[in-house]
Amino acid sequence: MNAVWTAIFQLFGEHGASQANLTLIECNPQKGYAIVRCSHKALEMVRASIASITEINEKPAAVHVLGVSGTLRALRKKHSL
Amino acid sequence: MRFVDLHLRPSIEDVHQVEKMVGKSSELGYHLVGISLLPDVTQEEIRQLQKICSDVRIDLVTRADFVPKNPLELLDNLRHFRRRFEVVSVACLSKPVARQAAKDRRVDFLSFPAIDPRKRFFDYAEAELASKALSSLEIDMAPLLSSRGFSRFRLLSCLRKEVAIAKKFGVPIAISSGATNEHLMRGPHDYAALAALFDMPTPLALRALSETPMTVVERNREKLSPDYVAQGIRVVRRKRIV
Repeated sequence: MNAVWTAIFQLFGEHGASQANLTLIECNPQKGYAIVRCSHKALEMVRASIASITEINEKPAAVHVLGVSGTLRALRKKHSL
Repeated sequence: MRFVDLHLRPSIEDVHQVEKMVGKSSELGYHLVGISLLPDVTQEEIRQLQKICSDVRIDLVTRADFVPKNPLELLDNLRHFRRRFEVVSVACLSKPVARQAAKDRRVDFLSFPAIDPRKRFFDYAEAELASKALSSLEIDMAPLLSSRGFSRFRLLSCLRKEVAIAKKFGVPIAISSGATNEHLMRGPHDYAALAALFDMPTPLALRALSETPMTVVERNREKLSPDYVAQGIRVVRRKRIV
């Protein structure tokens, strides 16, 4: 989450970060995914920020958005989580 | 929508890296990828790349990136190598090269790799020439991902201006990854979200990742086909005269 917040700050500043309303819902390091909630109006901004992450803890990394959904139930069903 | 990434830049000698990048493209939802090749690439190397792509059910487009120092070198490269590749891109590092590339119908993509605004030449005159010659403006996303701070916002400023100019003159825009490794590759919707940073609307960005590059590839494949005679004319049936 630190990497996501840092990316939002770098691209959109404090004003953009305040609009995102970002919350971590679930994180599964074994399967390599996390579920994050954000404001629907800030969806594209959060998406761009996540795409711009190129390192985490000084190691090269890439974060991909697997899917977007309005409800957790539909998201888990679609992606078999 | 069939998504296309026409600018992958793996090291061709490292087969493992090529496999990783092509596999990643398939995972991210691309149907067609273009790999940058050197002009002296052999048919055996191309066949090997085609096999790697077909194993993950991705179509391969052969691509050449010319970086000419002057217009004469560009014309020479096009004369010798145009028919060997399905897509040709020219990196415009000087104004004369940019003008010549924009005028020439054999060039598919114009790219401006410099981050310094004084070394980017996509202005009104360039766009007008490109719109008549059917060249497209190519935007690589890898520099945007790997730059930070001052260089990043300078690059965004340049891209914003160039996208506005391209829209004004009707120059097609294509978005590619320009990735040299799998860490710099992103999915098409992620690139569309990043394109909003330089004021490119999402529908236009998605078209730049699908229809625009696909149109270029289909047009060139038809032209390079042995049955092609001229625009709108092709050989349907051949008959032996005894």
